[in-house]
Amino acid sequence: MLDIKNLHVAVNGKEILKGLSLRVDAGQVHAIMGPNGSGKSTLSYVLAGRSGYDITEGSITYNGEDLAALPPEERAAKGVFLAMQYPVEIPGVTTMMFLKSALNAQRRSRGESEMDAIGVLKSVRAKAATLNVSEEMLKRALNVGFSGGEKKRLEILQMALFEPKLAILDETDSGLDIDALRLVAEGVNGLRSPSRAMLVITHYQRLLDYIVPDRIHVLAKGRIVAEGGKELALELEAKGYEQIVKDAA
Amino acid sequence: MNPALALPNRRVEEWKYSDLARALGDAGFGDASAGVQMRVLPACVEAIELDQPVRPLWVSAHYGKLKTNAVSALSLAKAASGLALRVPKGQVVAAPLRLTVTGEGHTRLLLVLEEGASLTLLEEGDAAGTRNAGFEIVLGANAELHHVRLAPVSVAVQVEEISVRLAGDARYYGHFANFGAKLSRTELAIALEGEGSEAHLSGVSVLSGNAHADVTTYVTHAVGHTQSTQLFKKVVGGHGQAVYQGKVTVAKGADGADSRQTAKALLLGERAEADLKPELEILADDVKCAHGAAVGDLDADSLFYLRTRGISEQEARHLLIHAFLEDALSDIAHNELRETVRGAVSRALNEVAA
Repeated sequence: MLDIKNLHVAVNGKEILKGLSLRVDAGQVHAIMGPNGSGKSTLSYVLAGRSGYDITEGSITYNGEDLAALPPEERAAKGVFLAMQYPVEIPGVTTMMFLKSALNAQRRSRGESEMDAIGVLKSVRAKAATLNVSEEMLKRALNVGFSGGEKKRLEILQMALFEPKLAILDETDSGLDIDALRLVAEGVNGLRSPSRAMLVITHYQRLLDYIVPDRIHVLAKGRIVAEGGKELALELEAKGYEQIVKDAA
Repeated sequence: MNPALALPNRRVEEWKYSDLARALGDAGFGDASAGVQMRVLPACVEAIELDQPVRPLWVSAHYGKLKTNAVSALSLAKAASGLALRVPKGQVVAAPLRLTVTGEGHTRLLLVLEEGASLTLLEEGDAAGTRNAGFEIVLGANAELHHVRLAPVSVAVQVEEISVRLAGDARYYGHFANFGAKLSRTELAIALEGEGSEAHLSGVSVLSGNAHADVTTYVTHAVGHTQSTQLFKKVVGGHGQAVYQGKVTVAKGADGADSRQTAKALLLGERAEADLKPELEILADDVKCAHGAAVGDLDADSLFYLRTRGISEQEARHLLIHAFLEDALSDIAHNELRETVRGAVSRALNEVAA
């Protein structure tokens, strides 16, 4: 589904990703672990299409298509979803109105009919209940005054609603206490499917106790330096990043 | 010409961003009389044409008595027409009263709400006509006025001064939606003269092309325990120019006055301009006053976030511009009038953000 080859990305002329290669197939959950400054967030932004992240070499192929050539909104319509580390607050737009605009924009882009307000509401409500997203949250301005946990739950609610083919979760565990983490992880696990790929980006092994990956890649200094099964997370936790990076060198 | 009636130019500090003399040229406002029209007069509202030779006491007691600037002095001197309206003591008028300011030249309006009276007023103007309107609004004790002004896009020079005087516990809610003119000036002079009186002013300007819109406010807390809020939002594209000048004065001894003013502008083009000037003069000791002004562009993080959710760049921009104006629009209490203003704002935004 996702095939990244020898990816080099520069931000403001500074090279952050230096030849990253990665392949994720449908039905698989892969984790990217790495220390601060390794390029994790750069990878998530470049996959979502943020401007200012320049691909200087290499390729990103998504379902046989050059992903880098598409603007962010077309990537979304084609099934790429990024759950952000810091979801933005937008005063003046209610959460419900935002969900409806986004869902219908994606549907329009795919040539599907738009859903009316009641249809969207029903669909949102069904998914909101399991993520403990209250009716009151949906009426509030998008992310404004939401706690860290509420913001992350809303990201996962969007993932459930948009039903992406490729979901990228950027530091979804940051700022969550253990109960919130469990709730979010259950939400994510409920969305695992043979037709969906997930890329879970995290600094800590903790999240991977709840969302157990098929494969783990260790990112350091803009490159994948180690790969392995789920047991690699425990090894990282025990030895620390420094040792793993050294062992790999 | 009488020098007191000379037209202000940009060398006059209060007219620095709105050079009225230049915009009008030699023709000036002329000597014609514009008018104020009303579609339906609600049953319990009394109306008098101001061109009557004999005026009732409630008109002569108030007419021409409130704060005047150069242009309202001119309309007082020259207007041969206009309207006076009175809502008698204790009358609560449910349906909104709709007024349209029309024609070319000068006109006056006097609106008196007696003690405990309540009214919602929708004021519109026709786009044609170089015009100078002077409004005087007198709110008796515990009276309540909701005033929504919706000014269309115009290529003329349109000036309006609205002076409001509030007795104890009276409440004035004013919303001023504006889409610009060759020169548009809305000047509000609010006098909080009775304890417990409050004035809440909000407004949106959406400007494109060469449109200009100036909202200038003077709010005076003459006595203590009075409250004023101001929230003005501007979206400016093309070569548009938005102006906000807001002066709040808290008189000596007016302790317990509470005043907040905010003006924000979103500039959508290299040539768009916003001049925001909040000002405070506090002569009392124990007051709560806050003011702020900010000029900016659309937030890049918000745009990116919306686009990653499948919303096109253009739709995301529209959404964020609407969101920027939302708090000022939601201040309009009357549902139908709020939707009327929202509709006009949406149409104007289609021009500016196209």
